Amino acid sequence: MLNLGDTIAMSVKGLVQHRLRTLLSTLGIIFGVAAVISMMSVGEGARRAAIAQIKLLGTNNIRIRELPLAGKELEKAGPRYGRGLTHDDASLLRQGIPVRSVTFAPLKISAADVRHGGRQGGANVIGTSPEYAAITDFRVAAGRFLSPLDLADNKTVCVLGAEIKEELFGRGDAIDAELRIGDGWYTVVGVMEPKQLYQGKTPILKLRNINRDVYVPINTALWRFPAGRDPFAINEIAIRVADERNILDVVRLAREVLDRQHRGVGDYEIIIPEELLAQARETQRLFNMVIGAIAGISLVVGGIGIMNIMLANVSERTREIGVRRAIGARQKDIMLQFLIETVLVCLAGGVIGILLGFAMGGLISLYAKWETAFSLAGVLAAFGTAAAVGIVFGLFPARRAARLDPVQALRL
Amino acid sequence: MLIETGDLRMVYQVGATPVHALTGVAITVDHGEFVVITGASGSGKSTLLNLLGCLERPSGGWYRLEGKQVEALDDDQLSRFRNQKIGFVFQTFNLIPQYNVVENVELPLIYRGVEKGARRARSLKILEQVGLGDKIEHRPSELSGGEAQRVAIARALAVEPVLLLADEPTGNLDSRTGTGIMELFSDLNRQGATVILVTHSQEVAGYGRRTIEMRDGRIIHDSATGENQRC
Ligand SMILES: Nc1ncnc2c1ncn2[C@@H]1O[C@H](COP(=O)(O)OP(=O)(O)OP(=O)(O)O)[C@@H](O)[C@H]1O
Ligand SMILES: [Mg+2]
Repeated sequence: MLNLGDTIAMSVKGLVQHRLRTLLSTLGIIFGVAAVISMMSVGEGARRAAIAQIKLLGTNNIRIRELPLAGKELEKAGPRYGRGLTHDDASLLRQGIPVRSVTFAPLKISAADVRHGGRQGGANVIGTSPEYAAITDFRVAAGRFLSPLDLADNKTVCVLGAEIKEELFGRGDAIDAELRIGDGWYTVVGVMEPKQLYQGKTPILKLRNINRDVYVPINTALWRFPAGRDPFAINEIAIRVADERNILDVVRLAREVLDRQHRGVGDYEIIIPEELLAQARETQRLFNMVIGAIAGISLVVGGIGIMNIMLANVSERTREIGVRRAIGARQKDIMLQFLIETVLVCLAGGVIGILLGFAMGGLISLYAKWETAFSLAGVLAAFGTAAAVGIVFGLFPARRAARLDPVQALRL
Repeated sequence: MLIETGDLRMVYQVGATPVHALTGVAITVDHGEFVVITGASGSGKSTLLNLLGCLERPSGGWYRLEGKQVEALDDDQLSRFRNQKIGFVFQTFNLIPQYNVVENVELPLIYRGVEKGARRARSLKILEQVGLGDKIEHRPSELSGGEAQRVAIARALAVEPVLLLADEPTGNLDSRTGTGIMELFSDLNRQGATVILVTHSQEVAGYGRRTIEMRDGRIIHDSATGENQRC
């Protein structure tokens, strides 16, 4: 009996007769698939952005950030309790969370110019503790990171990020050099390895360029860079939980401790890796709904358009169908031939739609500054959708072709 | 006996009125015959030919082809039967426009599931036989009427049918080209093919070795029996 390869070859031959008409009939599929593809690539982009940032933060890490209060909220909280995070909070957390293998580091972040010789550069001056390097997996390239002794003695030492070191010292050695940060002198004790930055356009968290960090002991930062409002104000507390399964417990305990200390004032937020992903998904949801609706409508409208063209095609080719039946084609052979024709049309529309979708994704990331990424699942879904539309809307014309009475078909 | 029918009837329903296209046809045709069917327009010639070609089932009566009861076959079996036993030639050639000459000839072999090399070889041989070996890549639109009908005949012959059916094969051709086509049918018949051919033309009818005349859905004269059936 007739084999599939020959049937497909027949269908292709049937299609190339009316190239333009066929192409036009696929416009709905093209736009529908393009919408699906751009939607998926935006979604994939957001997901990758979230994952990349989570990686950078560390999957086992929790960040507690200050949330500056303003206006009414500040008034309600009162000056005593709207202070944001303080160095005390960090100590309280350390004592209040009796979970094993949890490490804490406070962060006080200030912007300052760093000068050495004739050169200078803008840096993020980070007051922190020795644990920070371990928490973030940042490694020193030369010298050492901050030590407990630096902290205890309020030493004026610093560790330079790779980029800032490069700017001030070039390829030269920076260890033991004296440099100015803001208006104080510091001794360089270490240089960090360069760290791959997240280059995406859709940061869920705004991350600073850590290669421009300059680390100093937290106590030193507190007295050298007073924040004005509170001498013990810090910006962030970084926490690493060795065992991932304890993350949620630690978060709960941290919240208890801080809420007690802050009298329930919401002047901080806790960021968990999981939540970043959830946030990314949330950003996506509305967009997906809109585009999904557009895609759905175009696919249905496109499918109906193709069905129309195929019906016209069948009635134009009635005689051909009659001849095929006369020389031995069974109903199912005719059916399959026309069904495959429709599916091929839809797949062709799908291919064009996929290309258009990537172009649209590119434009979205260009103008909306959203990250987009190629998603294999998206391409497969698009192909699947196109094929499904072809089958669903091809069935009726194909059945009509197959059911033609051979004698009638030949009389016309 | 190749063909045996008894009391073949065909009724078409046109709205509420039944049209009796065949009103009881009994006919036998043996292997190797060359039968020409004539008769006025609307006398049922095409209807009879379509029934003999297994394109549809009769409304009544019976039909045996090579001993096989045709009216008992279902649609798929009829298709198989046509593919294996029947070669059709039509007045309007009915070549498939998107296929070139050799692809048109191959088509029945594709439906039979013959593998590519074999069907191509067979098609080329037949095209050679009908005198079109040099036109195999041409499209139907690039052929003259006579050439197109030769391709159609080649297509009918491709499956080595036991029965070659032609409904006014020269109807769309000028008389010289028509003569050429009829000579081809004669040749094929001499080589053993059984041919049943419908025509309006007396000249064409002269090629037949047996003539059947129809009127109002009946056979009114059959040269084989010499007798006039009931009128
Ligand atoms: N599908 C059909 N529906 C209704 N009537 C039909 C159908 N097919 C044939 N007929 C009728 O049956 C009768 C016989 O038709 P048929 O085509 O067999 O005649 P014919 O002898 O081939 O005529 P012609 O020489 O004009 O081709 C005609 O009256 C025709 O109108
Ligand atoms: Mg007729």
